[in-house]
Amino acid sequence: MENLFDLFVRNVFIENMIFAYFLGMCSYLAVSKTLKTSVGLGIAVIFVITVTVPVNWLLEKYLLKAGALAWLGPAFANFDLSFLSFLLFIAVIAAIVQLIEMVIEKFSPSLYNALGIFLPLIAVNCAVLGAALFMQEREYGTIAEATVYGFGAGFGWALAIVVLAAIREKIRYSNIPAPLRGLGISFILTGLLAIAFMGFMGIKI
Amino acid sequence: MNVQSNSYTFVYSSIIVVVVATLLALAATALKPAQDRNVEIEKKQNILSSARITASRENVQKLYDQYITDSYTINSKGEKIEGIDPFEINLREELKKPQDQRNLPVFECTLDDSLLLVIPVYGKGLWGPIWGYVSLVRDKKTPSDSASFIPYKKIYGAIFDHKGETPGLGAEINQAFFQIPFRNKVIFDGSGRFHSIKVVKGGAGLSSLNEVDGISGGTITSKGVQAMLDTCLVSYQTYFKSSNK
Amino acid sequence: MASKNLKLLINPLNNENPITVQVLGICSALAVTVQVKPALIMALSVTVVTGFSNLIIASLRNTIPPRIRIIVQLVVIAALVIIVDQLLKAYVYDVSKKLSVFVGLIITNCILMGRLEAFAMANKPWESFLDGIGNGFGYGMILVVVSVLRELFGSGSLLGFQLIPQSFYEAGYKDNGMMILPPMALITVGIIIWIQRTKNRKLIEK
Repeated sequence: MENLFDLFVRNVFIENMIFAYFLGMCSYLAVSKTLKTSVGLGIAVIFVITVTVPVNWLLEKYLLKAGALAWLGPAFANFDLSFLSFLLFIAVIAAIVQLIEMVIEKFSPSLYNALGIFLPLIAVNCAVLGAALFMQEREYGTIAEATVYGFGAGFGWALAIVVLAAIREKIRYSNIPAPLRGLGISFILTGLLAIAFMGFMGIKI
Repeated sequence: MNVQSNSYTFVYSSIIVVVVATLLALAATALKPAQDRNVEIEKKQNILSSARITASRENVQKLYDQYITDSYTINSKGEKIEGIDPFEINLREELKKPQDQRNLPVFECTLDDSLLLVIPVYGKGLWGPIWGYVSLVRDKKTPSDSASFIPYKKIYGAIFDHKGETPGLGAEINQAFFQIPFRNKVIFDGSGRFHSIKVVKGGAGLSSLNEVDGISGGTITSKGVQAMLDTCLVSYQTYFKSSNK
Repeated sequence: MASKNLKLLINPLNNENPITVQVLGICSALAVTVQVKPALIMALSVTVVTGFSNLIIASLRNTIPPRIRIIVQLVVIAALVIIVDQLLKAYVYDVSKKLSVFVGLIITNCILMGRLEAFAMANKPWESFLDGIGNGFGYGMILVVVSVLRELFGSGSLLGFQLIPQSFYEAGYKDNGMMILPPMALITVGIIIWIQRTKNRKLIEK
């Protein structure tokens, strides 16, 4: 249990998707102009990563890893399908995003109105595929770990975009040098935030 | 042809899937030998370099055949186990098992005048896995030695590497300035008890037999190295003491 | 080469740079810029994938069923990326280890989908190929500039060769450890954008 909590905190604060790995930067910079949409996109990302990471974990364990097909019988034990992992991961992510979109549309129109426009954006959000690939690389042992990792990674991403959006709303009327306005200052702000987040490095829980 | 129709869409996607899958399978099979060889070469280079032999990609095979004269698998009681290739052992999996069930790889390296045992080690740093190879040199037995003589207690060389430690801090464990001080340290105390090499914060005396300097700012990674040596080498202690080859 | 085609190659280097102007493909870009060598290999890989995915999709553009358009695009990109990844693992093993998951992340590099949707679906194969190569270069250029700055000031070397002489260190010069840490990549790109927009004022955001 402690271990899972540790994993969560690490992935929110220390190995933050944005500040440590720059994943999902495109939508991060494009959507962070207002606080309200950022919160919406943040929640959608948490949701999608928390669902896709464990699904991809199952896929990795029972289909892709070298020797993963052993459950089909000894004749299959020597297959190594790991070269297909990029393709299958992205397909799973695209399919799940589509599925989530349909389910939300059917059962909760109000939620769909709030999140709907973000969902198609998420299929190509690097943070989602990145989480799946990090899960594969770090070889999480149990599905619980994979799920907590996904939730932590998504939460960290959401936290980052909300923080940046809040700051961007505040500085909207500040006197920034013209060439730096918009994109430039967002990069520098993110850099400064990342330095602040580095303060969490090395904490032990 | 109507590109909107269901049957067209279906046939189209099937063709794409078949074509792509065939292409990828071909590419993966064709490149697999080269990839596997890279992994093998790197491992052999690491084994040699822990015995202070630098090998390039070209001559690694020759040097490996020349110096690594034997390799085998033992258990924690120091007995050899037949039928397991030490080169193929996945240390990460072995370390999950209880100590007395582990298969432990040993590589014997013969230099001009001495015999080395190269032992792989694997552990956890701050961000991810760290690993390395440690070589121990066989002590010459002198008549004054009593029954407590331990043939393999002195480190000859050590190398470490990491997956993603902090650049400039923990990542420095793969640098020579961190690795060289491990040479000539001793992993048994005077009464024959096993102990790890301590990685201490600043000021490990040169004369100290079991302490090396840690990396300032990379404390957690340094501690990881210490813990790694401890957990990996402890299973070999019976073998280090008893081996009277 | 016709001037129109030349434009396809050159525009993405400045006026339509994918990173600093179109805000595409930053995700996988910055983490690989600590040293020049991985950045170069990454830039090359992305250029190859953008060029060929544009070429393939543009050749198929009239046959692709509209309903599964996005999936077909993703499959083509993913297949190309897998091939690149396998090639890297086979021939430049040490760099492929450094790039780790970031090669896979080329798939979700927004430049790819962005160029496929915006250009390749509506243009002939050859033009699309040039557009892809141009965008790959525009992306690679920023990557290389950032990595040169970071490696030079962070480790005092370029492509692994020590550039800053030992006498400097003896005189008290120190490598800036901050440069190798992630935040400086962001700030460096911010400053590059600042410089570019100072020179090219029509890019300034209101």
